[in-house]
Amino acid sequence: MQAASLGIPFLPIRGLRGTDVARAGGFATVRDPYSGEEVYAIPRIRPDWAVLHVHEADEQGNARIYGSPGYDLVMAEAAARVILTAERILPAEEFAAHPELTKVPGIFVSAIVRLPGGAAPGACMPDYDVDAGGIGSYLASAESEADLRLYLERVNP
Amino acid sequence: MSREIPVSDLMAVALARTIRDGEVVAQGVDSLLASLAILLARAMHAPSLTWITVAGGVNPDPGTLPDSSTSPAWLQGTRAILGNPEFYRLAMRGGMDRMFLGAAQIDRHLRLNLTVIGDRDRPRVRLPGGGGAAVLAQVIPHVVVWRTRHTPAIFVPEVDFVTAQGNVEAVVTPLGVLRALDGRLVLDARFPGVSPEEIAARTGFPVLPPGPVRVFEPTRDELRILGDLDPGRRRELEFPRAPR
Repeated sequence: MQAASLGIPFLPIRGLRGTDVARAGGFATVRDPYSGEEVYAIPRIRPDWAVLHVHEADEQGNARIYGSPGYDLVMAEAAARVILTAERILPAEEFAAHPELTKVPGIFVSAIVRLPGGAAPGACMPDYDVDAGGIGSYLASAESEADLRLYLERVNP
Repeated sequence: MSREIPVSDLMAVALARTIRDGEVVAQGVDSLLASLAILLARAMHAPSLTWITVAGGVNPDPGTLPDSSTSPAWLQGTRAILGNPEFYRLAMRGGMDRMFLGAAQIDRHLRLNLTVIGDRDRPRVRLPGGGGAAVLAQVIPHVVVWRTRHTPAIFVPEVDFVTAQGNVEAVVTPLGVLRALDGRLVLDARFPGVSPEEIAARTGFPVLPPGPVRVFEPTRDELRILGDLDPGRRRELEFPRAPR
């Protein structure tokens, strides 16, 4: 996805030598034209959509992420379109007052959904941690479509 | 010292002692014992280590060890947060010295399997995968592996799938410490009450060195500080109920 964010077809990367990860992924090597070093060339992944859960967004999709951004920022640049789900929607003035806190610029974003608790039963640091019981009930309901529907209605009424 | 020392304590101390002062040390997800070992090393012999957690924390003070890898505790006290790309880029440009990795299978060539048990296309068990281990084990010069069980099904002559291989220098198990020697895994120390013969019988390939094998002895200070760092013994969470 870093390659996709740069608009290039692949990214040369160290490591992977002698692994089945490289073999199973069908990764080829390329030679550095300057040093001659052989490195793996990882083809880009360009998702059609990225769905990112953020702490705060405005109505244009400018977003703040607290805790670790994980891979969110590279996904926001790699995907053709981005959907944000947000714990809170804040007024535009709040973002205008502190634009340096914006992690995902709204110009990358196609749609915004206000969705408090949207990462549950996963974590949304630092707001809430993983809910082990919640993961258990999700797994129990994920076996059948009907149960899954009931689960989703229960957690997001 | 006697064999009554809990095996989790022995493993935590053995992992901690692999760390040298001043190193940049990282750990991945689901790594309670490795995290505790880093905290122990910081409190004992490596006060100037830099600890980078997979959650992106830099030298955090997690307090009570959390059981979730996504807990806010891993960021407690950190003054910066690295996203995952920053974490990997730091490792890839040579900025990390030591990493702790787990593995489902480990073979005599120090190769690690975290991907599948059985045939890749028809696996008996599909594992979570290696994350960045395939890259990290080659760009980080010192890789230490731990596993809370030691059986011939785990220590196999050839892993079913090579998820990662490269700079593995030691493997810590409930029975002792194995080290890389000329590309092979060799028993370096045994825990109190464990015989070399028992370790040989529970490893799927030869690991005994020609001479005697020393017994690993934690110091009273190490055990006391370990107790202070994890008074609730959260470290037991990594251990299956089955015998070691």
